[in-house]
Amino acid sequence: MSEVGITGVPEIVLHDMTRFDGADPQEWYFSNGYTDGLPVVPPTPEKVDAMVDALGGEPDLLEARVPPRWGNLTRRVLAVNAVMAGCLPIYAPVLRTAMRAMCENHFNLNAIQATTHVIAPLAIVNGPVRREIGMNCGHGAFGPGNRANATIGRAIRLILLNVGGALPGVLDKSTQGTPAKYSYCVAENEEESPWAPYHVEKGYRLQDSTVFVIGAESNHNINSPLPNDPEGVLDDVISSMTTVVHNNARASGHCTVALSPEHAQTIAKHGWTRHDVRCYLQMYATNKFGRIVHDHKYGKAYNRHLPRHYRRDLDSDIPIVPSPDNIHLFVIGGTAGRFSSFIPGWGHYNNPVLRSVDGATPVGGPICIDGTCYL
Amino acid sequence: MAYRQPLYGYDPRGIVEAEPRALSPRLTELHGVRLAVLDNAKMKAGRLLGYTTEILNEEFKFSQVNTYVKRGFSYTATPEMIEQIASGNDAVITAIGD
Repeated sequence: MSEVGITGVPEIVLHDMTRFDGADPQEWYFSNGYTDGLPVVPPTPEKVDAMVDALGGEPDLLEARVPPRWGNLTRRVLAVNAVMAGCLPIYAPVLRTAMRAMCENHFNLNAIQATTHVIAPLAIVNGPVRREIGMNCGHGAFGPGNRANATIGRAIRLILLNVGGALPGVLDKSTQGTPAKYSYCVAENEEESPWAPYHVEKGYRLQDSTVFVIGAESNHNINSPLPNDPEGVLDDVISSMTTVVHNNARASGHCTVALSPEHAQTIAKHGWTRHDVRCYLQMYATNKFGRIVHDHKYGKAYNRHLPRHYRRDLDSDIPIVPSPDNIHLFVIGGTAGRFSSFIPGWGHYNNPVLRSVDGATPVGGPICIDGTCYL
Repeated sequence: MAYRQPLYGYDPRGIVEAEPRALSPRLTELHGVRLAVLDNAKMKAGRLLGYTTEILNEEFKFSQVNTYVKRGFSYTATPEMIEQIASGNDAVITAIGD
């Protein structure tokens, strides 16, 4: 098996391991460009083997191919990157699920890795595995301080860099980048949510564990301290959604809304369901077409990124996303504080993927005769 | 598990399996060729390609100009579209226009 670069030009055949011969391991990883700019945990055979065992053994088994370099993500390679990121072996199944999900064709990871935009894959975990591996879904869930959140997110990034080849300025052409490209993995706060968890809304059972992945900008804050009714809270969410300079406004697609427990409870105590929330946001989060195209000040613009069937008169209302199903609603954060997040997506170029950690399939069914679509 | 100073560094990149492919033969003459124009659907790509084609056509008098539009700039062209471009044209130009 030969190593071939993305240009088709043969490269030096790689060896799995290189003897240090006195070199500082940490500096060896830096000098080879194998890190995210932070020190890594130098893998040892024992640590790699433990990680592979947690994936079911078979170190050469191919889990995915990671674009745009299209490197083979075998269990061994996945394990090496997981160790480097600081993961414990019990995190490995969640990491594998996230990587498999984002390597499915319709996620369009190839373009996410290469775009000039600031998008990064966001992974959100649901189900019992959150607690089993000690994830933080409460205060500061999107921030630092929790090993599972931080290192699973970091391992994803190391794989995207090392196996996917998305080195900034090389194959990753993001104009500015984003801190979310260091680590972007959280869990839903199911215990403090007044509603069924996200994965149950999508047809999985409460006892299933899932990973949701979506191309996402960093989270945009929604500071909404005063409203005590659903419309008030959600109108503030809409305020964040209706700038015209994120990709959903200009190119439709999917987005994520992460309500804090306080906001969710305010909404739910008025009897509103998850479905009501998503429908309200989709219906009223709109921009005038004129705002999107600067009232044609810079030349008449059609905007080919928006759905073809939208009217394009200057006063036409353009929805941020085309359907309530394109709003992915989670409850995330601590029990104090009326701060939620709108997390723009990447436009219609990315389709989010939800997959179970243990291979379970949804039981709700696509026609929702059991009502799970309207939780 | 006790930590031991590692003796070996692991390559974390994974191998790439791909068949090297040669580039198509280069054209030596542009006069009268069938030209494919691949519009990647960027905001102003169509406009840029339109002007470019107009200028080129004045000089080279293409026998055909066939325009193809991708579904979106961040999608790869479909295999069917690539096949159409390859089988029905001698040359192709594309551009990004934001």
